[in-house]
Amino acid sequence: MKRRAFFTSFVGKPPDEQFKPARGSPGPTIFTNALLRTHENKQVRFYDDLIRGRHVLINLMYADCHGACPVVTERLLKVYSELKDRMGKNLFLYSMTVKPEDDDPAALKNYAEMHRAYGLPGWTFLTGDPYDMETIRFNLFRMDHIAIDLDIYAHTSTLKIINDGTNRWLHVDPMASFSTILRKISWADPPKSFAEKLEANKKLQEKINKEKKLWGYRKDA
Amino acid sequence: MSGPRDKKKRPEASKSEKEKYFELSRMSRRKMLKLTAAAGAGTVLSPMILTSRKSTVYAQGTVPEPELCPATPVPQSPPHTPFVDDLPVPSPALPQLLSPTPTKAANTDNGEAARDDHQRWEEFTPAVTYQLEARAGTHQFHRDYLPSYGWGFNGLYPGPTVLNAYGVPSLVRFKNSLPDPTQSFGTPQTTVHLHNGHTASESDGFAGDFFDSGLFKDNHYANAYAGIDDFGGFPKGDPREAMHTFWYHDHLMAETQNNNYLGMNGMYIAYDQTDPPWEFNTPGSLRLPAYYGVTDFPVVFLRQRFCPTNPTTGRTEKFQVVGAAAPGTDKVAVNGKLQPKLSVRRRKYRFRMLNTGVAALMSVALVDGNGAQKPMTVVAADGNFLHTPGVVSATSGFPQLDIHVASRFDVIIDFSQFAVGQVAYLKEITTTPQFVSSPAPPPLSDGTPIGALLMRFDIIGDATIPDTPAIPSTLVELPPIPPAGTYFEWGFRNIAGNNPPGNFRVTHSAIPENDANHDATFLPFDPFRIDHVVLKGSSETWAIRNDTMLGNWLHPVHIHLEEGRIIEKTICSVPNADGCNPANRTPVAMPPWEDGNNARRDVYPTQGQERFVIRLKFRDFVGRYLIHCHNMGHEDAFMMVRWDVVEDLATLRRTREQINAERVARGDTPLYRKEDLG
Repeated sequence: MKRRAFFTSFVGKPPDEQFKPARGSPGPTIFTNALLRTHENKQVRFYDDLIRGRHVLINLMYADCHGACPVVTERLLKVYSELKDRMGKNLFLYSMTVKPEDDDPAALKNYAEMHRAYGLPGWTFLTGDPYDMETIRFNLFRMDHIAIDLDIYAHTSTLKIINDGTNRWLHVDPMASFSTILRKISWADPPKSFAEKLEANKKLQEKINKEKKLWGYRKDA
Repeated sequence: MSGPRDKKKRPEASKSEKEKYFELSRMSRRKMLKLTAAAGAGTVLSPMILTSRKSTVYAQGTVPEPELCPATPVPQSPPHTPFVDDLPVPSPALPQLLSPTPTKAANTDNGEAARDDHQRWEEFTPAVTYQLEARAGTHQFHRDYLPSYGWGFNGLYPGPTVLNAYGVPSLVRFKNSLPDPTQSFGTPQTTVHLHNGHTASESDGFAGDFFDSGLFKDNHYANAYAGIDDFGGFPKGDPREAMHTFWYHDHLMAETQNNNYLGMNGMYIAYDQTDPPWEFNTPGSLRLPAYYGVTDFPVVFLRQRFCPTNPTTGRTEKFQVVGAAAPGTDKVAVNGKLQPKLSVRRRKYRFRMLNTGVAALMSVALVDGNGAQKPMTVVAADGNFLHTPGVVSATSGFPQLDIHVASRFDVIIDFSQFAVGQVAYLKEITTTPQFVSSPAPPPLSDGTPIGALLMRFDIIGDATIPDTPAIPSTLVELPPIPPAGTYFEWGFRNIAGNNPPGNFRVTHSAIPENDANHDATFLPFDPFRIDHVVLKGSSETWAIRNDTMLGNWLHPVHIHLEEGRIIEKTICSVPNADGCNPANRTPVAMPPWEDGNNARRDVYPTQGQERFVIRLKFRDFVGRYLIHCHNMGHEDAFMMVRWDVVEDLATLRRTREQINAERVARGDTPLYRKEDLG
């Protein structure tokens, strides 16, 4: 019993039935199924355990970063708190290091604690073999621009929004307003029914009308 | 018919909708003809009905989603034989009655996207209405290829051309029937911008006004000249503000390039007395080639890359990687065909050239069969007639025509300079650096005998329709350049180094060359943040600076709502990433299609370290508008900001004070000085 629990705890775990990939999902060919380590020093397979059929947010960082990363992490914390109810259930946030040589799980844990991001369900910091991390960075964050793509710092301020269950990939600048970020995240949600869309549309119209009344023009709606 | 369809239980409501539809289609024909005649488009429609399209049109929802090909290594597009397919002519959009009837307020009960009430609705009640449905379809880009999956208006690429006349207000219902979810790399939300219509904000396709699949949105186009408030007459407005060649395209915030790469764009042409859809002599007519699809052709460039042909799926898919931006490309589609040919006769023809990008410049020139350059005449830039036409030739000083993304040029080629049986080519010459420290895009690999040839003209005989007279040496009188007004500066920069170079931003300052102000506004686009506000009816001097280094990114800057007049173009002789010492600004000579004394523009192609100073007047409509880089990759990276036009001084002052307060709250200096508050 213990033995099985041990083996199923990480590698080769049967895929979670709750999360089904979309038909067009590129699967491990793009994401890779690299063995990574979390900030809690658990071993995970990138596609099978973290991406497969899931709605995830991915950003790049490194522990010793004093430029954009702390600001971005602060903002992600706020995004996290807005989406608290979903995090760890049908929405996951992964922060991947671009300096895996320097960032071992302990360093990531330290970083998470420093930014009060430690112990939040659904938020995982990841490190791994530098080759694997570089492959994932290139496959997910490439912009087809050599100058940008070879610069590992270039994407520290991009938040990837991927839903393997609907095969929707989007990205957003974490410095954009929270409403923009939340709207972009919702674009990757499973498709809404027409009735739901109509309802949301009507609510937006009410908001617009209210704004018009208040300001004479559309400020926020 | 098909199995899975039978199993689906159709909702009750759709039945009555269907009945309604048939009722409408019965009565719409007579009404349609009436409307067409009213629009003055009756004469143009006849030749176009004859132009057939070969692309397969699927019923909604039945187009099989694409099977994407592996991304590594990046595929080379399959080879194709050059000059075998004819240049297609995008079919004209047919006017139709709409159900439900368009309303001033958004008809949210029936599925119209939320929006403001239409401005000037009673003044410009739509006389002609169209429906363009954004949906998936397939399009065959070459006879050696199998059909490719794409998105287009009415399932077509390029979308139907909307032919309109000034004085006849129109309304286009954009219905979003894009597949949701999709296997492609597009995003099935949309908002459609008519580039560069003098359009009220709620119909302008503001990037944040996107709507979901299943909903529709009515864009109301007044088809009136700018200056409605100041000029009476018919059509309303200042006729010198006429614009003729427009295009409509998806403007979804952060996802514009992929949706456009999939094909979500089309042309929109507005006729008037000066430029009617006929060539015979009528009062005020310039008598330029004007028979759509006969002597007047849209020429829409779109760069593409294709996957290897897959006989199992029956497709040659467009190369796309879900999650990635539109890829680097190796083929250029002209009106949706690779290296097409066009049979012409020895007379003048008009080509309305449009570069839909999605990112790179298109530099073109006309050459004969031996590769020697031949002249072509530019009569309109960005849809606006020049005062004096400009010539692109080996001797005119302008050996190439640079068509930046979203720019349009009406070019007249006189084929009487060729003998019957000769050929001529439209050739692409890209000399402007668009890519930094990465290899230049490889030249077209297959079927390119001399350079990168875009299309071939076969001169098959003498003119059958009488040639138009010589192009007038003065085409139109331009309206006066607007007064200076207050000064506002926009900086287009991407900061390299640790502050990620992927960050493309528009910075701004109300104080000339004030870098602290520019630095403080290095913010991504936010549809809810107002970065500048202007008063309706006022005019301002705007400076557009490209703060990247020379030879770095070129930013084709686009301003919504109004056409601008370039009064000054300078370059910084001592390159400086943080702006320029005014003493180092050296004037740059402008081609006739940029100079504000000769042209009106809506795209300002700004090289690194260059600065345009332009004059604009904000007329007739209020609301939210955009200024952005039209390299769609940059636009998607939020090199875009919102600016507003407001109705009265009190609102202007309050909004400017609010912008100042918000900036101070962020820890920045105020944007407006006391005297700028209005």
